[in-house]
Amino acid sequence: MEGLSPWVIFFASIFTGNILLVYFLGMCSFLSVSKQVKTSLGLGLAVVFVLTITSALNYIVYYYILEPLNIEYLRYIAFIIVIASVVQLLEMIIERISETLYINLGIFLPLITVNCAILGVSLFMVIRKYTFIQSVLFGAGSGIGWMLAILAMAGIRARLNEQKIPPALRGPGIALIISGIMAMAFIGFSGIVQIQ
Amino acid sequence: MITKILIATLSMAGISGLLAIILVIAERYLANYGECKITINNQKDLIVKGGSTLLSTLNSQKIFLPSACGGRGTCAYCKCKVIDGVGPLLPTEEPLLNKQEIENQIRLACQVKVKQDMLIEIPEELFNIKEFETRVTLIQDLTHDIKLVRLQLIEPYEIFFKAGQYVQLITAPYAGVKESVSRAYSVASASHEHDHVDLMIRLVPEGICTTWVHNYLNENERVKIIGPMGDFYLRDGEGEIIMVAGGSGMAPIVSLLEKISKEDIERKVTYFFGAVRKKDLFYIDEMRNLENEIGNFTFIPALSAPEPEDNWDGETGLITEPLDRYLSRSDNATSQAYLCGSPGMINACINVFVKHGITRDRIFNDPFA
Amino acid sequence: MKLTPKEQIIEKNFKLGAITKDGFMGDDVRHVHDIIQHDAMTLEKLGISSGELAARMQFFIDLGKEAIENIVDWNEYTIQVIWSRGMLPCPFGEPRLHHKIFIELRNNKLNKSIRYTQLNVHLIREHGFFEGKGSPFRLEPEELVEVLSLDQ
Repeated sequence: MEGLSPWVIFFASIFTGNILLVYFLGMCSFLSVSKQVKTSLGLGLAVVFVLTITSALNYIVYYYILEPLNIEYLRYIAFIIVIASVVQLLEMIIERISETLYINLGIFLPLITVNCAILGVSLFMVIRKYTFIQSVLFGAGSGIGWMLAILAMAGIRARLNEQKIPPALRGPGIALIISGIMAMAFIGFSGIVQIQ
Repeated sequence: MITKILIATLSMAGISGLLAIILVIAERYLANYGECKITINNQKDLIVKGGSTLLSTLNSQKIFLPSACGGRGTCAYCKCKVIDGVGPLLPTEEPLLNKQEIENQIRLACQVKVKQDMLIEIPEELFNIKEFETRVTLIQDLTHDIKLVRLQLIEPYEIFFKAGQYVQLITAPYAGVKESVSRAYSVASASHEHDHVDLMIRLVPEGICTTWVHNYLNENERVKIIGPMGDFYLRDGEGEIIMVAGGSGMAPIVSLLEKISKEDIERKVTYFFGAVRKKDLFYIDEMRNLENEIGNFTFIPALSAPEPEDNWDGETGLITEPLDRYLSRSDNATSQAYLCGSPGMINACINVFVKHGITRDRIFNDPFA
Repeated sequence: MKLTPKEQIIEKNFKLGAITKDGFMGDDVRHVHDIIQHDAMTLEKLGISSGELAARMQFFIDLGKEAIENIVDWNEYTIQVIWSRGMLPCPFGEPRLHHKIFIELRNNKLNKSIRYTQLNVHLIREHGFFEGKGSPFRLEPEELVEVLSLDQ
């Protein structure tokens, strides 16, 4: 993937390869925190932060520690440890900066640790053999893509409250259907640029 | 093979160790708020350790804001004005504050955390609230379910309160109850007696504190109280004082009557006390004595369902009935009403008072309702 | 297991002496969600919603409240309501307080009596929670429906 401009990867990971709506990673918090635009924005920003930092850190860990020592098979554990620590750090920072956001995010802040989108990005970065710059921009782009998706979802759900929905579909049911429709809409972007 | 395992283990341990160190350092700097200065009413400075809630920080400095729910953010008693040094309104506070309070920078002390120097305002009389170490000198049955508890003050040895105010009694852990709770009880003793307080405590079905008092507390034990609190006290005025109480609501009324007697307040006083049967009546002799001591005082007990063996010849019916009859005969233009008892009784009596032209601003009731 | 903040609140409040003297769980070892689920299934079998049940319970409280601790006879029921001072928070951590109202209700036709509180009514209405078995205010849905004559 040497040839690809990092900026192409950045935009591609926001739109054509949206981590959430194309790869369907990170659904758990996407469905449960998308009830309010404000909290979605907070969680979205947290995910952007964690993704950018972890892709950089994991790049270093992978190419400067795991690969030279021939222990690439430990990458899952190593990546998760890095992600967990970054999330802990983020938790402290958010508690210090904005208590409101801290309370609103609640359990979903520590749960970013097990948000599969984060691990997914680190693994994709290794599989696709990105360079350091590419990896960081891929991480940031994926984060922004995730944030975009959850914000769109929150906006739609805010309107859903006033609609008549069949009782059986209320809550997660209709949310899943909507994310399916949103995913189809995102396929429309795929003509712009293609990355794998 | 062994080296391979060793390298793998060591490198993973190294990564984890490094990250752990970073986290510990971050915790040291991010989660540590150091010493903060809380300025109260622009006159008193407290140097405290940051990081805990304002309510518990103030408590540790022996300043007691009222709190009934123990910091759960449900009772909204611990409201105080925070002028500076606090973040935006928290979602846990929002439902308990109205628009006007939010504009006036009123916050819930149990939710707000001390993270920097703060500028707060609290009512002056809260400085008077202290924690008292006391000894139980008397536990006496007043009725089958109400006990009188006398607490002799040890440290501080004197209490200054307005007749009608209440204190919070702090329970000791007992049986399966592992933690202390605090509950509010009106003081029944006279406000000119500074060395002890009397409480009248009625057994609440499955109540945490009342079960403790009735079944576990013994004479000579030490208990803590916090007080005095509350704005139920005798107001200035010329007109008649009409008091209504039921059950342990007798307590603050006794204190008010003692004050009226001691200070020779020359106002007409009428006191209605409601009970179901004769065995729910108490303090009759004390009331008859007070009738002699206070110039113009009438005590009217009423039973709603006297037993045949009670041989009751006084007023009968719900307390609202004799009250209604009395008010329709008297001049209520300047009368004041003082109520204490179960919320149901208070609500019913307020309706009767309002019906007879005693407006809400002349009706006072204890704050636990 | 990491609990959600809401479950942490519930766990803390359910303990003995946190809100009520004997807690809310009695000697029931099941998880609170399981208790709620189980009672919900019982109610479904009986064909009564928790809302209807709570409304009926509230009706009797309101009836007895008027009488200020006096015994009230109403049709085949004898009720007494004791309204103590003070408030109790909901153990599920909502920012609303409930009056300490205690009712003893006797169905003279069935010769059975039950007792419950205002908080019970709230717990059933809003949370479908009948408390753990062995708790002093545990209410068995079948018994409740029977004594309140909702099964006809």
